[in-house]
Amino acid sequence: MRISRRKFLQSGSAALIGLSVKGDRPITGGFVNDSFAVGHKLRDRAAFPIAKKFEKRTVVIVGGGIAGLSAAWRLQKRSFTDFVLLEMNEQPGGNSRWGENEITAYPWAAHYVPVPGRKATYVRELFEDIGVLKDGVWDERFLCFTPQERLFLYGRWQEGIEPAIGLNEGDRDQFRRLEEQIHKFRASGGFTIPMEPGLSREHADLDQIPFSDWLCSQRMDSRILDWYMNYCCRDDYGSLASETSAWAGIHYFASREPEEKGPLTWPEGNGWIVKRLLERVGTFVRSGKMVHRITRKGNRFSIFAGETEYQAEFVIFAAPTFLAPYVIEGFAPVHDFEYSTWLTANLTLQRLPNNYGSDLTWDNVVMNSPTLGYVDAMHQSLQSHVERTVWTFYWALAEGQPASNRELLLEKDWGYWKESILRDLERVHPDIRQCVSRIDVMRFGHAMARPKPGAIFHEQRRKLAALDGPLLFANSDLSGFSIFEEAQYRGVRAAEKVLRDLGDQKAEVA
Amino acid sequence: MGILLFITVLLIAACGLIYELIAGTLASYLLGDSVLQFSTIIGCYLFAMGIGSALSRYIHRGLAYRFVWIELMLGVVGGFSSALLFLAFAYTQGFQLLMYALVVVIGVLVGLEIPILMRIVKERYQFRDVVAHVLTFDYLGALGASLLFPILLVPRLGLVRSALLFGLVNVAVALWSTFLFRKQLPSTRALRLLCIVIICFLGVGMLQAKRITAAAEDNIYADEIIFARDTRYQHIVLTRFKDDIRLFLNSHLQFSSRDEYRYHEALIHPGLSAVPAPRRVLVLGGGDGLAVREILKYPQVESVTLVDLDPEMTRLFSTHPMLTGLNQKSFLSPKVHIINADAFPWVDANTDSFDFIVIDFPDPTNYSLGKLYTTAFYKAASRHLSAQGLMVVQSTSPMFARDSYWCIVETLKQAGLKTYPYHVYVPSFGEWGFVIASTHEYTPPTLLPAGLRFVSVDGLSSMFQFPPDMSPMAMPPNRLNDQVLVRAYDQDWKDISH
Repeated sequence: MRISRRKFLQSGSAALIGLSVKGDRPITGGFVNDSFAVGHKLRDRAAFPIAKKFEKRTVVIVGGGIAGLSAAWRLQKRSFTDFVLLEMNEQPGGNSRWGENEITAYPWAAHYVPVPGRKATYVRELFEDIGVLKDGVWDERFLCFTPQERLFLYGRWQEGIEPAIGLNEGDRDQFRRLEEQIHKFRASGGFTIPMEPGLSREHADLDQIPFSDWLCSQRMDSRILDWYMNYCCRDDYGSLASETSAWAGIHYFASREPEEKGPLTWPEGNGWIVKRLLERVGTFVRSGKMVHRITRKGNRFSIFAGETEYQAEFVIFAAPTFLAPYVIEGFAPVHDFEYSTWLTANLTLQRLPNNYGSDLTWDNVVMNSPTLGYVDAMHQSLQSHVERTVWTFYWALAEGQPASNRELLLEKDWGYWKESILRDLERVHPDIRQCVSRIDVMRFGHAMARPKPGAIFHEQRRKLAALDGPLLFANSDLSGFSIFEEAQYRGVRAAEKVLRDLGDQKAEVA
Repeated sequence: MGILLFITVLLIAACGLIYELIAGTLASYLLGDSVLQFSTIIGCYLFAMGIGSALSRYIHRGLAYRFVWIELMLGVVGGFSSALLFLAFAYTQGFQLLMYALVVVIGVLVGLEIPILMRIVKERYQFRDVVAHVLTFDYLGALGASLLFPILLVPRLGLVRSALLFGLVNVAVALWSTFLFRKQLPSTRALRLLCIVIICFLGVGMLQAKRITAAAEDNIYADEIIFARDTRYQHIVLTRFKDDIRLFLNSHLQFSSRDEYRYHEALIHPGLSAVPAPRRVLVLGGGDGLAVREILKYPQVESVTLVDLDPEMTRLFSTHPMLTGLNQKSFLSPKVHIINADAFPWVDANTDSFDFIVIDFPDPTNYSLGKLYTTAFYKAASRHLSAQGLMVVQSTSPMFARDSYWCIVETLKQAGLKTYPYHVYVPSFGEWGFVIASTHEYTPPTLLPAGLRFVSVDGLSSMFQFPPDMSPMAMPPNRLNDQVLVRAYDQDWKDISH
């Protein structure tokens, strides 16, 4: 057997590389999808180009997240096509944006939808449309595979995220009593998804106090229960229990009545839904078009984006509501919408870390970590054998004030966040640095609405959510908290209102 | 004379170290945990040498005579140590006791050697030369032995014969010493005769070593490992005992060549013989080619597509002469197309239709394998069935994993298929279960290929009957989002082992 010189050199250098991988892998990556540079132009009232083009539409949708896309879906489904959707980012989807690499697609933020209950009729309709719900049966492939979740506590992994080991009788009693209370709240019908139809004055008092105060008043002060409650608030709202309205804290638990073991999830998270929506309404979407000004003259709106002026009879404002004063001429400032600061990261793993006998699950959480853990993008793969994967790491900067957290987010470089993420993961995966080849970080200054005490029954929220007139607000923050179902509900409702008004106009003309 | 003396030192040092290495290696082989074994053996051995050295001061006269005796004793004890230990492990409970006793005895004797030898030669040299030379050759001997042992002795001679060989060296040293120290010895004839007798003994031992190890190994190992490899996907081990070849994947028995025909005939013929004019067959799993061997008994079958994850597995069963003998070179048939792919994605992406589908995966021991036993998988697989097609699924044991078995049956039902469960007895597995599934009625065949050793037309009906201890259990189906099967399987086997 002859070995060519090249081959010999190759194997020689392979051997040398073999020696060097004993250390950690080099990790590449950086910040991705940064949008605040564009956003801050609005805040700073920067000069924008003068409109050179002109387009006339009956309806303009501002914002291409789930709310805006859902409005478009409903309009298109009702065969109404005289509209455009303007999205600031190059990629539509908002909090449901996704990424893809040679291993798998992965989410940038929202990554699941709980199996909707009977009341979430719009969500069910959407899922029937896109093949997730067929003849009343949820497609197994879109339901989260076994094993779903695990929690690392006391040096080991347990199944499920609600702590089940190391509880004493007192802890158990508190969990039991909480469940009983939740059951009562659920039965009351006041905590629903979508939230608006169920909202009842009966529970207005709960909105005035922090969730942690309510728990204390119920003598639920166990350390382990406290951790779990805080985890849930950070996970869904990006805030601590002490800064979350008790109404919202209870809603998290009392609103869900899953009829099937879920949740619904996809490798790219809710990006999968965005893809299906774009297949239907993509032709109406203008991405990379930031709306910088909306003016009203009589019955007509002028919407300025880039060098185009759009004229429309209706505007569905599906972008985050806090942007309205910066964009809409003469719009009073909104002070009572508060947003949480988030950081997500996608880690490319060239091999799986040692799990010491525990199975890698879909959602993996570590007790007493300031972060929310990670989600495995390959979990919904049908393969029996997985070698490489992508993990989406979630971190709501819940401690401290959102404004100072936003500063921190901008101030620290990628290396700082990379190290923070790896150190957090190293607690449970000592060999993580030998597995990860890339970490991409996405920063969200205003990720989601924070339902602080008073946010739910707030007058301004109710007013803006009311859908009267030709300027309709549809972002999920109008529910006080940002979840898929709320965004979709408000988008669809806004579209229906527009269609109704247009119907009335036609009737008048006739 | 000087150099001869120091060669003696070198040889005895080598012998001493070899016995120690043999004890450590044997203990690691047989008991595992090589760190513990080597540490404790080296410790005991060195400590015993210390005892030997301490004892040497009580020997006042007849140093040369006693040296010869020590060599003879070492030759016998050390030479037979390995054989004794093998047999002790195979036939007694006292392996460790004997091992440490032997190590101590050898250690004491080796500890005596050098001090006595130094005292014998002390008159001829200056003290500092004696110490320098003796220790130099002592360490040289140790170096030689430690290199020889792993490179030549273990691979070429094995542990039993290595020990015997070095026993012979010890006795040779004894014999030689009777010449070397003849002036200090009272009479040499009797000693020399004894040396010859012991040499003969050890020599016979050398010739019979194979029988000793065979006798011991028969009792130690169930089987001899003839192939072991960690592939990207699994750990493959093949063992052989006489004419019985066994395949283990990740330590789970896949077949025993003595009775695999029962399993594979039962897997294939009740279904395939019931398909009128089967042309195209799909096998999912089954990388050993044994199911394909049975399928090739149908001349009307034109093509067999086999999808197995592990290319090493299918290559092994295409090339290893012992294994191609078992599967009758089924993988070399031009009708057979081997695809190395993950089954679920392959089934999802492929659109071909088949008259017979064999699903023969490893048992659902984890959630990754469990995906291949779900309603989603069976729905996807059944889309490949032709109008007259049948599917058969290996379904664990209805006896030992009764819940699991009936869970698989329920899962197939929920996937919209008609199910026909059956079971057979495979000695190396026990009662084993299969399910035929189809979109239409199945009736057992009335004609089977010639030359089957187990499945017969008369015996078929009994295979479809389940006695009360294996009768159906009410189980939920196994779904991707709720893998009850993996939990049931785990519980079933826990129940058995307690």
